[in-house]
Amino acid sequence: MPLLILLIPSLLFLVAVFALPLFRYTWLSFHADSVMTGLVAIPNQGANWQRFIHDTRYLQDLFQTLRFSVVSVTAEIVLGLVIALILHQPMRKRALIRSSALIPWALPTTVMALGWRWIFNTPYGPIDRLTQSWLGQSLNALGEPSIAWITTVYADIWKTTPFVALILLAGLQTIPSDLYEAAKLEGAGSWICLRRITIPLLLPYLGLALMFRLAQAFGVFDLVQVMTGGGPASSTESIALYAYWNALRFLDFGYSATIMIGSFVILSSLILITWLVVTTARNRSQQSLAR
Amino acid sequence: MKATRFLILALLVWSLAPLTWQLYTSFCTDQALVTPFASLNQRWTLDHYQSVLNSNPPFIRYLLNSLFVGGLSTFLTLLLAIPSSYSLSKMGRRSSLVIKFFLIGCALFPYVLLFLALLEIARYLQLGNSLIALAVPYAALSQPLAILLLTNAFSDLPAELEDAARVEGLSVVQRFRWILLPLISPAIASTAILVFLFSWNEYPIALTWISDSGKLTLPVAMARIAGSSIHSVPYGPYAAATVIGSIPLILLVMVFQKPIVSGLTTGAVKG
Repeated sequence: MPLLILLIPSLLFLVAVFALPLFRYTWLSFHADSVMTGLVAIPNQGANWQRFIHDTRYLQDLFQTLRFSVVSVTAEIVLGLVIALILHQPMRKRALIRSSALIPWALPTTVMALGWRWIFNTPYGPIDRLTQSWLGQSLNALGEPSIAWITTVYADIWKTTPFVALILLAGLQTIPSDLYEAAKLEGAGSWICLRRITIPLLLPYLGLALMFRLAQAFGVFDLVQVMTGGGPASSTESIALYAYWNALRFLDFGYSATIMIGSFVILSSLILITWLVVTTARNRSQQSLAR
Repeated sequence: MKATRFLILALLVWSLAPLTWQLYTSFCTDQALVTPFASLNQRWTLDHYQSVLNSNPPFIRYLLNSLFVGGLSTFLTLLLAIPSSYSLSKMGRRSSLVIKFFLIGCALFPYVLLFLALLEIARYLQLGNSLIALAVPYAALSQPLAILLLTNAFSDLPAELEDAARVEGLSVVQRFRWILLPLISPAIASTAILVFLFSWNEYPIALTWISDSGKLTLPVAMARIAGSSIHSVPYGPYAAATVIGSIPLILLVMVFQKPIVSGLTTGAVKG
């Protein structure tokens, strides 16, 4: 019993920070609480939810957030696997190389978000200069709605791939090397080794990286807020940013809370589905390995 | 072998090129930035660094603020997480699994969505603009990761060790102080660094809680430079600020590469 007492402070903190807000949002989502009501909560019979269901801007932001998450997480997993395979090789100055590869992940997102704004600046940034001199036209990487979201994806990949690579590297280190030797003796090339040994045995780690990265990407905020401010033409606006605008720019706390709780339901069901898919894929591959 | 070397080189360029560009920008005069190929009588300058260091409040202030919040929240996190993870490691399999699932759920929660409620709490308790108060949500948000990492460390210790100490008549506090804590110190170090990095880099909560310009943390101060105007960001001073703001973290990663990697990877292996 005294064991439980030790856990209580942490659990209280967790409940205060994670559970209380959700109750508060649920309650607020049934109230009008904005400048119009003098920032006093007045029940409004689900008007927030009516608005939420028909909010095309939210729908667009949800689409953008999902597009951003899926593309960047997929790229991060592929690239992270490549980097993990590189870092797994025996090499000199391994510690130094690993630290250098980690640096993008350790820097504050906002620091490099502005750095990217300079690098992708039109017309003075280096990328725009390159496209001007090679293609003869400006790329306008942050001003063109159809390109800007890819630019933010690129910045996200740069920052979080090291995290994915490290998790996958941990996985690579658990694979016994005699598996590869046995496969080589039977004449398997490195491609077959990768497909038949590395990837199946790495699946739990791939699943883990996928889950954590998806959850983080769904909440993308810092990067977009600083790099593009949601623009151009709201093309890079994420749902977290939209909720933020609603609360602190439009001062509509009731609707912002509705967005939060609505997004929470949508995103956690997506994460749950991913988790189910990942675990079934893992179990199936374990069965086929056992055979 | 040659291919590996080429790939390593590519990896280094990929990770470090953007920072190198910021370093280059920070030493260029404004004119050199706009017309890179023209011959200029003055190409290099330290002006940007001077303007950043002499601004009001001076840039060092933000670094100190971040350092303070990072240190305090790391301390708070460990204070809460070490006893919790000890008790979690001693618990029955089923109940500890339930709590672990709850913790993983919290860790997967997109915490940005919490900022509005946290802001309300801060307003209600009049905690806005307090760096000490800011450490509280950071410590709470760090609990899942810290508890999971430390529970693994405690579970890895052989149970006989503590039993022997108990037979010798050591109290719980003595066992903690002289036997358990020294043995899990590597895990504590990794956890501490990961929590510190999180608090140092955290943005949305700091953005909404702190408005007093003398109390901004580094990420918010950086973003404010951009927030002034979408079109005329002072890129030279900004690049200088990036460089100064990155140095502590680059040193941190270089020095603590081992505990960072082991923290992230043991989390992955056991989680």
